[in-house]
Amino acid sequence: MTDTTAATQPQGQLSSSASSEIIIEINQMNKWYGDFHVLKDIELTLHKGERIVICGPSGSGKSTLIRCINALEEHQEGDIVVDGIKLGENLKNLDHIRTEVGMVFQNFNLFPHLSILENLTLGPIWVRKMSKADAIENAMHYLKRVKIPEQANKYPGQLSGGQQQRVAIARSLCMNPKIMLFDEPTSALDPEMIKEVLDVMIELAETGMSMIVVTHEMAFAKTIADRVIFMDEGDIVEENEPNAFFDNPQHQRTQLFLSQIL
Amino acid sequence: MAIITQNKTPTRPAPLSESSVLGWMRKSLFSSWFNSALTIFTLYIVYITLQGVYIWGFADASLVADNRRACYDNSLTGACWAGIIDWLDNIFYGRYPREEIWRIDLGALLLLLWMAPMWMRKVKGKIWIGITVVAFYPFLAGYLFAGGDKGLFMQLMIAAALVALPANLINMLLGLYKEQSLGQLLHTFCAKFSRDEKVQRNLLLALVVLSIVIAFVLQYQWQEQGVSWTKWGGLFLTMSIAGIGIAFSLPGGIILALGRRSKLPIIRVLSTGFIEVFRSVPLITVLFMATTMFPLFMPEGFVLNKLTQVIIAVCLFNACYMAETVRGGLQAIPKGQYEGAHTLGLGYWGTMGFIIMPQALKHMIPNIVGNFIGLLKDTTLVSIIGLFDLLGMLRSISRDVPWLGLHKEPLIFGAIIFFIICFSMSKYSRHLESKLATGNKN
Repeated sequence: MTDTTAATQPQGQLSSSASSEIIIEINQMNKWYGDFHVLKDIELTLHKGERIVICGPSGSGKSTLIRCINALEEHQEGDIVVDGIKLGENLKNLDHIRTEVGMVFQNFNLFPHLSILENLTLGPIWVRKMSKADAIENAMHYLKRVKIPEQANKYPGQLSGGQQQRVAIARSLCMNPKIMLFDEPTSALDPEMIKEVLDVMIELAETGMSMIVVTHEMAFAKTIADRVIFMDEGDIVEENEPNAFFDNPQHQRTQLFLSQIL
Repeated sequence: MAIITQNKTPTRPAPLSESSVLGWMRKSLFSSWFNSALTIFTLYIVYITLQGVYIWGFADASLVADNRRACYDNSLTGACWAGIIDWLDNIFYGRYPREEIWRIDLGALLLLLWMAPMWMRKVKGKIWIGITVVAFYPFLAGYLFAGGDKGLFMQLMIAAALVALPANLINMLLGLYKEQSLGQLLHTFCAKFSRDEKVQRNLLLALVVLSIVIAFVLQYQWQEQGVSWTKWGGLFLTMSIAGIGIAFSLPGGIILALGRRSKLPIIRVLSTGFIEVFRSVPLITVLFMATTMFPLFMPEGFVLNKLTQVIIAVCLFNACYMAETVRGGLQAIPKGQYEGAHTLGLGYWGTMGFIIMPQALKHMIPNIVGNFIGLLKDTTLVSIIGLFDLLGMLRSISRDVPWLGLHKEPLIFGAIIFFIICFSMSKYSRHLESKLATGNKN
């Protein structure tokens, strides 16, 4: 873990682009898997343009938390309001929220039977009802942004892990989402590929995208985060500005965690 | 101490045992005394068998004879193919009126024409070939074979088929000579008139409707003499039942499989019940039920002929088997694929249609084709309930007075026909597999 963080040189912190407009609001949210209480009284707000990094040991519920935000997981108690729409009220809203919230997974989840270009145009054509020509133009634009336009006609299986993850980011961006969620986007990658993905994410952060990132890349967290959240056993244990969080962690569990991974 | 290799090791050709025929034989056939003896012994057995087959089937066989007696007079140790040759028309066409046989030939030819582009590498839009052939060909062929009066629905479907078939052929020619598809051609054609996509789409729709109307008018005067189903038989009947069964069982199976995995309890319970009932009963029972019990439940005056009942039974039975195959394919798709599709905002049908089904069906091609082959062979059971399919016809040769007791030759001939059909199906499935395997390497 420690060598991989070295792959991203601290490039100085990005200035915050957060506005006062709230785009995600989570109130007293609880979730159980059967009898197991995974998320406990979660309170979280994300402002427009704000970037939050969530870290914590495995099994702490951080992935579950962001999967609840676009309803890949159901929560049982409390409210999640995304872009002004309360989750779980009806199914029409669900599809709307999912088109406004992009998500990037640890295992990419590209569609192996479709070419890169088809992966990128499927959503815009069928969900956003874009014309095919526009969708292709849009896809090429984002492929250039993630720096692999030359791979457009290949299949996911022919690309390296880092390239696949960049395609996955581009696929989400093609839907022109308001929020991007990243679920450990670099955890399944070989060390030499982590940097190329993080660079793309840093560039994305510079454009003022609202982001929630679950990651173990602490140098990266320091660079982009407006706030860092530490979770453990389903609780948000500590929440702070990145400098204060890393230099002066308050809670004992945070101190232990940081001492183990840094 | 550091070890540094300065020179790259050059690549060398593989040893002879890996690359030459002699080397291969030495390694795999004659590696020890015992293996050499086994090889020679096996070759001897193969020689004896082939020699026997050659003498019986070719050298001593009679091709021309008036009856079985004449065959024996000719040679006692050879096959009597004369009986098969005498019955060839019956074996292929059943008791279909001889002057109308061209209709069956034409039907088969149309199917070949329609399907041929599937084998051509350069032709585009293969999925549409498959969809149109399943959706429209059965109606065109059905009327061609059965004749008689046609209802409005039948007429519409025939008109659609008469549009789809030429469209498919044009698409084939475009693919072969211009590396283009009909869809692309029409698209550029429509784009000449307007830049607005909505106008383009309406124009395309108008073109399709216009051609269907023209085809409808054309087919209106087309009238074929009716041929009763009781005259259908032989390979023609086998292929008709199996063809409809194959065309129906895959879509039917997909719907049942989706139903079984549905989150809505009523749909799930109904699909599961339906599948389990049909799967736990032998086909022959289903066939007897369909022909004897089914009419009892129908309102009076509602009569389906035996052939229709049999076809419905075969379709339902095989849809249930197909459903389980498709379900197996669905279960092999990782959860991440669903999540990836959901996060793009695709709903249930979008996720299934674009993401899950194409992958699941691709994994399942060998099993699906295996089901098709099983279906084809199972149709021989209809001879038990009194339809003269290929097997029924072959067996009745031995009851024909001149060829009384001629069993062996007809059954071997039938085996060869079934082998040719089934083997080409499995070859095609291999071809599909290797073709679709591109870009699916993770």
